[in-house]
Amino acid sequence: MPKVVTQQVEFEGHFFEQTVVIEGDDITPWGPEKEFSVVGQPHTRIDGSERVTGGAKFTHDIHLPGMLYGKFLRSPHPHAQIKKISTSRAEKLPGVRAIFTYENSPEIPWRMGLTKLFDKRIRYAGEEVACVIADDESICLDALDLIEVEYEKLPSVVDAELALENNAPKLHEAGNLVTGKPETYARGDVEKGFKEADVVVEGTFRTQVALHNCMETHGSAAVWEGDNLKIWDSTQHIFGVRDMVATALGLPKHKVRVIKQYMGGGFGSKNGAGKYTILAALAAKKTGRPVKILLDRREENLLAGNRPSTLQIVKIGATRDGKLTAIYHKCIANEGAYAAWVAGSTGPSTRMYACPNVKAENFGVFTNLGPVAAFRAPGYVEGTFALEAMMDEVAAKLGIDPLELRLRNYAEVDPTSGKSFTTKGLRKAYEIGSEMIGWERRSQIKKQNSTATKKIGFGMGSQIWGGSGGPPAYSVVKINNDGTAVVLTGTQEIGTGAKTAMAQIAAEVLAFPIESISVELGDTQIGLYSPLSAGSMTLASVGPAVRGAAEDAKKQLLDVGSQVLNIPIEDLVIENGDFLNKKSGERTPVKKIYEKLQNYMIVGRGARGPNPADKVVNTFGAQFAQVEVDIETGKVTLQKIVAVHESGRVINPLATRSQLEGGIIQGLGFALCEQRFVDPHLGLVLNASLETYKIPTMMDIPAIEAEMVNMPDPDVNNLGVKGIGEPPIIPTPAAIANAVADALGKRIYELPLSADRVLNTLYPSSQNERSS
Amino acid sequence: MKNFEYVSAPNLASAITQLQGSNSKALAGGTDLLTEMKERIKTPDRLVNLKSIHEMQGVRDDKDKLWIGALTTLSEIESHRFIAERYPILAQAAYLTASHQLRNAGTLGGNLCQSVRCWYYRHPDLTCWLKGGETCYAQEGINRHHAILGNAPCIAVQPSDLAPALIALDAVVRLKGDEVDGDLSLDEFFVLPDEGLRQRTVLGKSDLVVGVSIPKPAASSRGIYLKSMEREDWSFALVSVAVQLNFAGSKVGTARIVLGGVAGKPWRAKSAEAVIQGKVLNDSLAEEAGAAAVAGASPFEHNGYKVVLAKNLVKRALLELNK
Repeated sequence: MPKVVTQQVEFEGHFFEQTVVIEGDDITPWGPEKEFSVVGQPHTRIDGSERVTGGAKFTHDIHLPGMLYGKFLRSPHPHAQIKKISTSRAEKLPGVRAIFTYENSPEIPWRMGLTKLFDKRIRYAGEEVACVIADDESICLDALDLIEVEYEKLPSVVDAELALENNAPKLHEAGNLVTGKPETYARGDVEKGFKEADVVVEGTFRTQVALHNCMETHGSAAVWEGDNLKIWDSTQHIFGVRDMVATALGLPKHKVRVIKQYMGGGFGSKNGAGKYTILAALAAKKTGRPVKILLDRREENLLAGNRPSTLQIVKIGATRDGKLTAIYHKCIANEGAYAAWVAGSTGPSTRMYACPNVKAENFGVFTNLGPVAAFRAPGYVEGTFALEAMMDEVAAKLGIDPLELRLRNYAEVDPTSGKSFTTKGLRKAYEIGSEMIGWERRSQIKKQNSTATKKIGFGMGSQIWGGSGGPPAYSVVKINNDGTAVVLTGTQEIGTGAKTAMAQIAAEVLAFPIESISVELGDTQIGLYSPLSAGSMTLASVGPAVRGAAEDAKKQLLDVGSQVLNIPIEDLVIENGDFLNKKSGERTPVKKIYEKLQNYMIVGRGARGPNPADKVVNTFGAQFAQVEVDIETGKVTLQKIVAVHESGRVINPLATRSQLEGGIIQGLGFALCEQRFVDPHLGLVLNASLETYKIPTMMDIPAIEAEMVNMPDPDVNNLGVKGIGEPPIIPTPAAIANAVADALGKRIYELPLSADRVLNTLYPSSQNERSS
Repeated sequence: MKNFEYVSAPNLASAITQLQGSNSKALAGGTDLLTEMKERIKTPDRLVNLKSIHEMQGVRDDKDKLWIGALTTLSEIESHRFIAERYPILAQAAYLTASHQLRNAGTLGGNLCQSVRCWYYRHPDLTCWLKGGETCYAQEGINRHHAILGNAPCIAVQPSDLAPALIALDAVVRLKGDEVDGDLSLDEFFVLPDEGLRQRTVLGKSDLVVGVSIPKPAASSRGIYLKSMEREDWSFALVSVAVQLNFAGSKVGTARIVLGGVAGKPWRAKSAEAVIQGKVLNDSLAEEAGAAAVAGASPFEHNGYKVVLAKNLVKRALLELNK
């Protein structure tokens, strides 16, 4: 029976109390001793052939008869007031079907009411001014050229520190501080902690804006069937898009259907509907035809979200024997024009180490730039870089091995709550990872392989993150009369392999071959509610519901089978899709019983149970990097990276390895080459293309040695799984930056560690400017 | 992309005539021009396809020189047997250019004539000096990719990898057209833009590069092309250096040192060449040549690192050739 309780919920490093309806807590978790036949085995994607043969339909692939296309006119100015807009010339262009501006569009509040669907006030270059709907995109672009807009240019600010000054241009009436106040955390007494310290280190760090650059850009297609609106959207949250669209357009939820079967990446930037979604729906209504609006790469990189740049100050105090006495961490994050939450980076400093005195302050700042979005472990990538750099400096000052220092401050319980962790495999990760990289032999490896111009270095980084998932999430398992089964959920596959993992879970429970299981998801109308696929929560939320549904279905199947076959239920098991009489050894295919039952259908129902109330759920890991720095060219080469993570039980080692590799590659991009550039005077983004925004290529990727500490978590959910989507990106930049500092004998406090930055550090006199 | 007319030229003469029409552009591999058209930086009314022109095709081994037609793709240059054997510096430069896909389409002629990569020039919302505006935004802006040598009203660098290598090989370019016609040293083909001529080559609007010829190197000649990039593939040079040396015994005979990514045109470092001419190369001489190559450099706010980088690359290239 459902119970209503209040519990603590974690999302993307933020914690809050939530009232939840609890059910599905009656299933015994799979303990560490449980043996499996499908779960825990490497399995290629069940939808792999569709993906590689082009059969998989992404939002970009939706082509409907009579479809129209849309493109936005975007402001060339970072801050402006629209005085006048004239679309009459554009309307006359053949093929143009509709043009939307603030003059003829509903006033839909946007970004938590900070702006509107079309706002006369422009707060960043690239913001939507008008939308043209036409027979094809090329006509749209021609029409955009014909729209006349009169702007009153306003002073703009793109630097977060400048935006905090008193005389800075204000983006919003309430000022440039996101939520109007810093987000703070404190435990103990940091001042006292620093007084007790034998050594104190302090560093000022800067990290860059990183762009998600999903392979499939953001976009939606919409069509009305009567008064039913159907939307295809490249999203991480079909129910979120449905709810946003329903609210924006004043529609009841049962009239809005959102579909997303496949998508080319999200990384946190696709957690809700876009203006393109609303405009596609509005335009489809107005024209009576299907409408598709997709962002191009440039638009994607101007406005579809980013990892905010940070300025961080980290100060750590420690005793002579390496015990941390105090940590102070301040972060100023540049969140662009709109944000509803403070994008802080201090999470790792408050939670990673057993330190009694901690103070953290996070300032989110509005600037005239494209808005922030969650980006794979938001805040934790940047914060871990700064924290772990300072840990290495403490180690160096004390003459303690960096790994040893971390072990001396190992948090046996959650330092913020005093509660114990459900599982914590970090010690094991340190042990395995340091062995794999040759941590003990590193001085020798450095000596042997460094030359006069190429210096080898080693570094490490630790990882803490959430990833518990949680309720609500539901699933239904249907058993067809040919002995096949369909798993129905309302989650979405964002490319991680969740679909395959859910098939493995159902196959394991039902004891059906995995080939006889199909998994349906990505449709709000026929699916059952599931949370957004973010915060490393999909499998840990939906997987347990799938198990619940499969267990329910299996129970019914055995019950029915026992009656049809006339075998006592206690003698009956299912094995490889057959009923097996344990006593006689006689096998009967499941479909055989249906010969007497025609179209009887077994329907099992499952729900995600609650998270533990008395324990804290976190994921952990450690990475170790070996780099070579060319001191003549400034080039940093990541030679080898070792990653060992603990995220509970591993359902599919193959998909998990993909997540580790993907996270590490994205992390190495952040560490070495990815960086958005903005002209400080013009307020314009300069590198919104894939040629100029440097994502690592295959040639940049080294040997990746990745392993999981397979540690089933008996408390988190009935599968023992935690999330693994975000953890692997977290310690990569920290490990690389520490390795570069080790190679150079000198620390660089900014990312990325690009050639210019390395050379400017090694040859400070080269920074002289041209005398004019 | 704006609508345009497309014509295919059967021969050089026809192409030149076609290009005289108003707002026409020559099209070969299209890897640069089409992106500029998609971004509406260039909006020609007519494209004249050159790929059908026989005179611009092929790699030919003449007795004392190698001829490379302007339509030869970068992939062909990268993998051509003659080039790999006799002019490894050119094969290296081709290999380090762009990506596999771009090298399969991009041509020698297009590579020499490509537009600058400056992100102010490429920005759809800006009309910089090079695009006919008044301001070179890079001078006060984010100029990490920009010139440290050569005074010009536009500080974008010439982006070709092939050009420094070809100049180091004393390549001669054959031009055909209304305003220029005949053979010209490739070094002189590139010019720094000025008020009178907001472009980077001597080509007029209906002039074409037909091909380049490279003299056969002396038996003692050795060359190397080094390129510093922001990632391992598909990146223009931060700085590159092409060095071709003829040795007379243990001493350097003639030397060519050409830098890429440092100026509005491929930058031949004659003073660096002079430092090593007639001398036996060693660490300190290589260092001295590196310093000479960047003597007089005047970096901007964000590109001071290029001075060090260029100096070190010259030194490294010389020491590599001396091994």
